Amino acid sequence: MLARAAADFYWMGRYFERAEHTARLLDYHLARLVDTPADVLAHGWQALYAALGQPPPVSLTVTDDAEAFLVADAFALAAYLIEDPANPNAIIQSWINARDNAKQLRPWLPVRVWTCLNDGFFWLRDCDFSEYWARGPNRLPAGVIERLRLLSGVIEARMSRDDAWRFLVLGRFVERLQRQTSLLQSWSRPSDGDYQMWTGLLEVCAAYEAYCRKHSMVVRPAHVRAFLLSNPEIPHSLSFAIRRVQSLLSGIDPAGGRYPLRAPHRHALRLAAAIETDLQVPIEHVDTWDFLADFAEDCREMHNLIIAEYVDYPLERGLPS
Amino acid sequence: MVSKADTSVTAPTPSPGNLGTTAHLSFDRARPSVASPAVAGAGAFTHYSIDSRFRDEMFRSDGTLRTATEQLGTALNNATPEQLMQLQDGVRRQFLHEGITFTVIGAEEAAEQIIPIDCVPRVITASEWDHIDRGLRQRLRALNLFLKDIYHEGWSLRDGIVPHDLVLGCPQYRMEMLGTKVPHDAYVSVCGTDIVRTHDGFAVLEDNLRVPSGVSYMLACRAAIKQAMPRLYRAHNVREVLPYPARLYSQLASLVTWTQTPRVAVLTPGQYNSAYYEHAFLAGEMGAELVEGRDLVVHDGLVFMRTVTGLKRIDVIYRRVDDDFLDPVTFRSDSLLGVPGLFHAYRAGNVVIANAPGTGVADDKALYAYVPDLIRYFLAEDPILDNVETYLCRTAEGLTYTLENLDKLVVKEVGGSGGYGMLVGPHASAKEKEDFAEQLRTDPANFISQPTLALSRATCFTDGKLEPRHVDVRPFVLQGKNDTWIAPGGLCRVALRRGSLVVNSSQGGGCKDLWVINEEKRDM
Repeated sequence: MLARAAADFYWMGRYFERAEHTARLLDYHLARLVDTPADVLAHGWQALYAALGQPPPVSLTVTDDAEAFLVADAFALAAYLIEDPANPNAIIQSWINARDNAKQLRPWLPVRVWTCLNDGFFWLRDCDFSEYWARGPNRLPAGVIERLRLLSGVIEARMSRDDAWRFLVLGRFVERLQRQTSLLQSWSRPSDGDYQMWTGLLEVCAAYEAYCRKHSMVVRPAHVRAFLLSNPEIPHSLSFAIRRVQSLLSGIDPAGGRYPLRAPHRHALRLAAAIETDLQVPIEHVDTWDFLADFAEDCREMHNLIIAEYVDYPLERGLPS
Repeated sequence: MVSKADTSVTAPTPSPGNLGTTAHLSFDRARPSVASPAVAGAGAFTHYSIDSRFRDEMFRSDGTLRTATEQLGTALNNATPEQLMQLQDGVRRQFLHEGITFTVIGAEEAAEQIIPIDCVPRVITASEWDHIDRGLRQRLRALNLFLKDIYHEGWSLRDGIVPHDLVLGCPQYRMEMLGTKVPHDAYVSVCGTDIVRTHDGFAVLEDNLRVPSGVSYMLACRAAIKQAMPRLYRAHNVREVLPYPARLYSQLASLVTWTQTPRVAVLTPGQYNSAYYEHAFLAGEMGAELVEGRDLVVHDGLVFMRTVTGLKRIDVIYRRVDDDFLDPVTFRSDSLLGVPGLFHAYRAGNVVIANAPGTGVADDKALYAYVPDLIRYFLAEDPILDNVETYLCRTAEGLTYTLENLDKLVVKEVGGSGGYGMLVGPHASAKEKEDFAEQLRTDPANFISQPTLALSRATCFTDGKLEPRHVDVRPFVLQGKNDTWIAPGGLCRVALRRGSLVVNSSQGGGCKDLWVINEEKRDM
């Protein structure tokens, strides 16, 4: 597969995941506007922006972060993450970027995938956010999630499981690794007694029901952390994501899973091993913050290794023997 | 209403090459109980006026339907305005959802635009088309022989068929091609020839031999119309154009001599090119690679593309990049679009480039005037398709005539395209004519002039009404190792502005489907 096209698929997957991640966080947070005290909401906004690695909008000039989120209105904070052209990570911008990638991929992309993506773009571009807001603040992010799930379904149904698909899904899971790590880092800060925050984290990660089935409704921070770090059955856990990355890289590697493994593949195995071994001790005894800080660095390295191995490799290495 | 514009349509949107099954529009579904024959100026055609200066594709001069358009005209006449609106909206939306776009060069806003499509097909009979088909084959044979000649022996120059300076001074003439062996002498593998129709019949307006574009719009129009009016389409026994990508692939692959399984790539300048949609579309439909210059590398005289598993050899490049930008080592050194060393690989016979570098000399608008002579010279045949009368401003007589008749003529730059760099005398202001006259005097060799043609008019649905608009057609000719194939149809371009003669999409033009119908019809 053409290296540039592989990179476009990879980035398209990353942008889809980025948009969905932001939409999930917003969906959860905006749904709570109706019955949550202002100071808790402000704290939530602060955590949300921290999880996304986003500074607050420049219009918030108050120096103290917590106070800034308290005085800002929810509409402006949400709009900045959804549709503000000044925000390169806004949902609309992620969609535009994914569409730009897709435009370069028309020969490889099934027509239905393109039309689904294109329809979604027109829908989002032409949405009047204030009207959506009037109908329910979380209606628009919920709509974005629905559109993205439809797109995922079309991709699953229409794309053959070749390298194009692998790079697309690889992009999604590399992005998920980075975003989830950042999310867990930002959630490691609140006091362990904040029941609502931990429940919220589970809900944002679409893992609350699964958690309740496994651990009952008693939400313990240590259990939540373990659940979202090392449970391989939860789609938004780090363990799940790194296993998918490893499996996709195995498919992309011409030698499959056989020696010698390519650098990204080796790195993925190392990360998977880190989750399995470092977190084997009772989670209460693990310094989650340090672990996540190292893991975040490793995720960035994973991205660099993938690009260096499959896209920007030296020409002399690529010559036919 | 939540959306500013309702674009959330869920109607199926099949690809041009892969039609789905969908409910067609209601006017096409039901056979009218009483088929009232259409007449220009009445019924659905109330706003339709026949102008004796222009041949009308739908109606005879007395306002009755032509035999070939009887079924179509009757169906339109029996449709309600709402049904016609629904039809037009349906095909337009299909273009929107599939992202069938073009980019207007220099436009500051909305750089990427959906190409306007008209829902009423133009109809040509098979016998009329066969005449065009024979003429195009003849023309392409002569042009290929001419190109081989000017880059080898040069007999046509020595014998004075074409002036030396016209060829050697043409910016598209490539010295680098002198003596270069072109696989199977197929200099032009893909040709798009613009053909107009007047009361006198069909005539060639210009040949496009470099990187002719528009074929994807032809295919998209066909797919959209076929879906919108399947019964009428079937009833008309229309000749099929959809095999074009497969034929293009096989014609290109046939030019390779060193392998039975060549790897074909479409070389595009990138997604900001005005025809990028087409490049991507053709690559996808052919199963070819869509590459940019940065994806290719020349090593040991061979061309490779960067894949995720290393470099893979490319055998055929269907290039959509102008000669100038093809190879910075050989042509323009500031080109970022090309591949360093590509021309070296080409001269070594290790890659096929279609169309060959240097073919642009044969679609120069000044050389166009000599094509009938070239046909006689190389083929010893009379031209089947006429040329439009052309005055070369490079000659004293041509310049004088042009300056004296500026208000009646269309003046074009010899290297211009896309409707730019031209003056339509009858529609131009005094100031525009004055400016153009000055340019003519300054650089006469850069211009030709032609009479303002009475382009035929076809039925279009614009502003909620059926009205006639001027049209031309660009058929596409494919030349392979042994044979020539012409898509039985073409990109029918429409000047959507009332009275306008400029059909280019960059100048307010649109497109419509062209039906070449076999005389024997099927039941609806």
